[in-house]
Amino acid sequence: MELVTIEGKWDFNYTYFAGESASRFFHELRENQRIMGTRCTKCEKLLVPARAYCDVCMSVTDEWVEVGPEGTLETFTIITTAFPGLPKPPIVMAYVTLDGADTALINLVHGMDLSDIEKAAQKLNALPRVRVEFIDEPKGRITDFSFKLI
Amino acid sequence: MSVAIIGVGQTGYRRSFADKSSRELIWEAARLALEDAGMGIDAIDMVISGVAPDALAGEASVERTAMLGFGKPFLRINTGGVTGSSAVFAGNTFIRARRARAVLVVGLERMGQATSSQQVFNTIFDPVYEKDFPLTTITMAALRASMLMRLYGYTAMHWAQIASRSYRNALRNPLAHIHRDVSPEDVLNSPLLAWPIHRYEACPMSEGACAMVLVDEGMVGDRIPAWIQGAASITDSYAMGDRIHRPGATLVDLLSLKLAAQRAYAEAGVDRPREQLRAVELYSAFSSAEAMAYPALGLCASEDGPRFVEAQFTDPTLPVINPSGGPQGANPVSVTAMVRIAEAALQVREMAGERQVADVERAVATGQGGATQFSTVCVLGKRQAA
Ligand SMILES: [Zn+2]
Repeated sequence: MELVTIEGKWDFNYTYFAGESASRFFHELRENQRIMGTRCTKCEKLLVPARAYCDVCMSVTDEWVEVGPEGTLETFTIITTAFPGLPKPPIVMAYVTLDGADTALINLVHGMDLSDIEKAAQKLNALPRVRVEFIDEPKGRITDFSFKLI
Repeated sequence: MSVAIIGVGQTGYRRSFADKSSRELIWEAARLALEDAGMGIDAIDMVISGVAPDALAGEASVERTAMLGFGKPFLRINTGGVTGSSAVFAGNTFIRARRARAVLVVGLERMGQATSSQQVFNTIFDPVYEKDFPLTTITMAALRASMLMRLYGYTAMHWAQIASRSYRNALRNPLAHIHRDVSPEDVLNSPLLAWPIHRYEACPMSEGACAMVLVDEGMVGDRIPAWIQGAASITDSYAMGDRIHRPGATLVDLLSLKLAAQRAYAEAGVDRPREQLRAVELYSAFSSAEAMAYPALGLCASEDGPRFVEAQFTDPTLPVINPSGGPQGANPVSVTAMVRIAEAALQVREMAGERQVADVERAVATGQGGATQFSTVCVLGKRQAA
């Protein structure tokens, strides 16, 4: 007897609400091309990207401070295989601590020579300094900027 | 009030079970667990179910169609990767609180129905700041693996050795999904997914169901128990970027697992884990996740991790890590953490067949969920905790 399979597809549309803090963060990206963090009133850490509260202290973070535009790479991966529905490789993705920040921020690293993956990895292993680079027409999204090795 | 696991049921794990509907998988595991416990469904006071992201199955609340018995309290748990252990811990808590004497815990992973699971995994990240990046379970692991290599001197060969050991252990586990003799060289020669992770180091996509019967000490009777000596569940901050600069608790220190281990060990009376825990079932979907667990569980210092990997192949006094093959052998996400406890229970009960480790007085099982912001540690023993 043949086992029956039934085709299915989840294709729902959503509108995600970013909230006030992230909206202001995105507004700063679009209008002023600067990256902002918010400082926790209790532990005094400058959290980047900006958010409404510190999830360790459960305290508000209402002081807005600009960070960067340079920073230090903390850890990385180089994506070399394509997965359905995700951007095409090779892609370098890294956590970077922008100058002034107490936390690291994830984004893509552009402009690297990826013809030799192992060589590129060794370069990133040295935890290079990077600079934030904005796209020509920022839209107020986290993808408005990426990192570039200095 | 002590709690014991007296029944374990597993369907076994595969890429997909085309011959079983979701409810049939749940029923099968539950039936096997009850059989092992020598109990009928009428003796069960409560049913606790665990399923993680619905989108992996493409069915919302997939457990809803699989009622087990009639007229009982029921609850569903979803804590990502630790869903399975959270469900077991919930059962443990209800019994210890004397709200139930016997609990049936059942978990299902149905990701065999998903044709693009990494795309689904991308949706578990924050839609505001993260979802536009290719963050997946694989790349999240890669970001940590590269940090471990830089900090503690792990090499690609260490990752390959860990993966190969797990594959070879899985050869002795008939329930495992992958039965393939993979050498460290095979891992290194497999395609690179996301530096430094190779395809054969990534856990498989598996489905299947796991169930357990938990009872209070008065109901153990003539059954063979695995006593829950210690169980602890600890959270951490969600944002991985927030953990990079925390002294002693960086992204690769797994503070939540360390604290969970300390708490569970204290309950269980474990103070020399390396000697007292003979079998260790780790929720390590990648080799780097296993490496992060060593210091958290007190098996070695962080900087001794690479040597600990090598020593496992030569020193028979060390605990046996993932005798079942671990998540490398089968990774049915929703139940992977429950399978760790199930396998640890089988070791303690001396019912692990060909994968049985000798003289397992105590075994430990871990769980890791989300961006490792959830960690669970469960210590099981042949005897009740003193
Ligand atoms: Zn704070």
